[in-house]
Amino acid sequence: MLFLQLLLQGIQTGALYALTAAGFALIFGATRIFHFAHGTAFTIAGYVFLACWRIDQPVLGALAAIAAAVLFGLGMERFVYRPIQRHEGSFFTVFVAAFGVAVVVQNLVGMIAGRGFASVDTSLSMAEEVLPEIFLAPIFWVAISVAVVLFAALSAFLTRTHAGVALRALAQNPDLLRAYGLSSNRLSMLAFAVGSAMVAPAAILTAMTTGLNEAVGHHVMLISMAATIVGGVGSLRGAALAGLMLGVAESVALQFVDTQWAEGVSFLVLFAFIIFRPSGIFGVAQTR
Amino acid sequence: MIAYAANLATIVAIFAILAATLNFIVGYAGIFSVAHAVFFGLGAYAGAQVALLLMPDALLACIAGAIVAGGLSLCLALPALRVRGEYFVAASLGLQMMATTLFSEAKAFTGGIGGLVGIPRPTLFGIEVGVLPLALVALALILFLTARLQRGAFGRTLQSVRDAESAAEALGKNVAAAKTLAMAFACAGAGIAGALFALHLSFVNVESFTMDQSVLVMAMVIIGGTGTLWGPVVGAIILLSLPSGLAFLPFIPPTEVGAVQQIIYGLAMTLLMIFRPAGLVGDLSKGRATS
Amino acid sequence: MTQEVLRTESLARAFGGVQAVAGVSLSLYAGAVTALVGPNGAGKTTTFNLITGNLRADSGTAQIRGKPIMGLKPWQVARLGVARSFQDLRLFTHMTVRENVLAATETASWFWQPGGRVARRQRETRADAALDATGLTALADARAVDLAYAERKFLSMARILAAQADIWLLDEPASGLDLASRIRFGQLLKDAQARGVAICLIEHNLDVVVELSNRIAFLDQGKVLAEGDPQTILKDPALAAIYFGDRPQEAA
Repeated sequence: MLFLQLLLQGIQTGALYALTAAGFALIFGATRIFHFAHGTAFTIAGYVFLACWRIDQPVLGALAAIAAAVLFGLGMERFVYRPIQRHEGSFFTVFVAAFGVAVVVQNLVGMIAGRGFASVDTSLSMAEEVLPEIFLAPIFWVAISVAVVLFAALSAFLTRTHAGVALRALAQNPDLLRAYGLSSNRLSMLAFAVGSAMVAPAAILTAMTTGLNEAVGHHVMLISMAATIVGGVGSLRGAALAGLMLGVAESVALQFVDTQWAEGVSFLVLFAFIIFRPSGIFGVAQTR
Repeated sequence: MIAYAANLATIVAIFAILAATLNFIVGYAGIFSVAHAVFFGLGAYAGAQVALLLMPDALLACIAGAIVAGGLSLCLALPALRVRGEYFVAASLGLQMMATTLFSEAKAFTGGIGGLVGIPRPTLFGIEVGVLPLALVALALILFLTARLQRGAFGRTLQSVRDAESAAEALGKNVAAAKTLAMAFACAGAGIAGALFALHLSFVNVESFTMDQSVLVMAMVIIGGTGTLWGPVVGAIILLSLPSGLAFLPFIPPTEVGAVQQIIYGLAMTLLMIFRPAGLVGDLSKGRATS
Repeated sequence: MTQEVLRTESLARAFGGVQAVAGVSLSLYAGAVTALVGPNGAGKTTTFNLITGNLRADSGTAQIRGKPIMGLKPWQVARLGVARSFQDLRLFTHMTVRENVLAATETASWFWQPGGRVARRQRETRADAALDATGLTALADARAVDLAYAERKFLSMARILAAQADIWLLDEPASGLDLASRIRFGQLLKDAQARGVAICLIEHNLDVVVELSNRIAFLDQGKVLAEGDPQTILKDPALAAIYFGDRPQEAA
């Protein structure tokens, strides 16, 4: 029964991974920017929510978390990535700049909010025995439904709206862009806004379950990146699926190895894909 | 005060070795590794084990560190031969994370979280020596070697691979061999730095070999300027003097010095990339190559 | 009279469902300039890539002086004396002109090159001679990325000259060159030819083909349709019809 328990936990973690990974993949697909500070948006959203929770404003907190993540994403696009791309900076310039921001935010959060784990306790996170030896907290269902609803909304946005279709087109063929009569700056901002907003629900749910610490952004960024590569760059569906898969793999691996190795499982998968199938599950072979 | 200065100088020399070797693969071969601390760690553990189990001979420790780190550089060379750019950064980050776990779990080799303690004072051919002169000699040697390699045919080979891999191959260059060699050289250098680090502190644990450390070394290279000889050394001096400089500022509580330091270098990395991507020592006209 | 140095037999390669090269048999001779001619998509560059090992052939063989080269890596083929240029040049953009050419003389991938100081001096002499022959001596310290278009093309040729190969595969080396540059380029080819280099070049401008080559292989839809001396081939009305696009049987 341990296996089923781990599987369910993995699905819960995986649903959150899928959200952040899809945000990362959306940004990368539309802008070709490897947004290394994606995890930082997660950290910011999570801590904004925590701060509001402490003054008993959970709803305001959720809204503020989304707003903070979006603002951060837009700020990165406008003040960091765009100036660098104007100089035709290499991907590495982008990486280092984003990493610098991640380091700054991590330490600021540590100084302001204190270091170490912080979480909120709600009645939702109390586990109950739903089947013999299977414990589930109601938050499991919350996480799953949030992920499902958001993915449905995202796919409706990408297929039904003018801007969404343009974003998808941009991912496939940047030259098509002008045909939609939208400026690349606008679309790039849109991608950052939507992609960053995706991390806020994941951050809030993480705060309610496993808790946050100031360095959580690293982990989120790495998982999002791993999922995007494993899923196949350019494929949102692939990234989401791979995120889910990594969450499940990390959790199920606990049946065989100790907790501290769980994260290693994700990177083992990433490493294997990079060496044997760099184009990912759904990706087309990259010839560079 | 003298002891303090000597300690700082030793640490600077050790990190300058790290930064110079990382610069060799980043600036010349275009291989952007964010896992340099892994090889620093491997060298440190290997050197420490030699000192603990055999004898605290500095040369022997350095050789052991270089062999272990250089040999295991194949773990990183493998993805470097398969993918480039963002993908390789992702692979090296993955390697760094796995190595951190491994370092804290492989107790037989690394002593686990607690690390290896009681490493004896180093000797050289039976005579007790300080680590500072050793580190300075090693730094001089590594700078000399990297300068020679960078200016010579091997440096040209790496740069040609960086700029146009297929054209380099079409001219008969074995790209895989060149990349693997460059990586082995740089990682062996990091291993030597690690062995010296272990001998200097007389204890090592995983905290010194985490991703933060890799990023710190990367920041030294970036802030100094990639693809320059002295840039990494300048970067190491600046970033390592920072905490001691900050300690003299009364309004920063001592517990926050580390965080303030990280904020400063994080900010420096971001601002440099936006306004002066070639680094402090770098020649702007030479900017970095893409594609 | 002339010696065959490179020969391919029925080289074939498909991408997805498209047969890019469908059995190319081609020979290159020492001291001869062979022009690969044909409409876009005829498989000319793919043929080069199959010979140099950049692409793996589905079937067929290729050999250099009787030594089979199928399955060799590009750098191994290069070390058998094949030098190639690329349509998009692929210069070492952030290195100087002289470094570009020096890099072409250094093939060992080890920390140092064999032969010590004497060999190094020889390589430097070779590089300088290549710069001289291509008229780039004055620009030796400029970075490749800062060169003008024609200079870049000549730098690409200088690399090949310095590589000391005796089989040259040139992908549109003369395209976009003005008349004076083209004459200089022609002289480079003639000198190489006189030294016994076997040259194969892809070229679209038929005037240039006539000017530079003494053999033509006409490719269409991945096959060599005809091989022979320029006059005969270019006068064939059927080939001209294919070349200029009024193909009778098919569209696109």
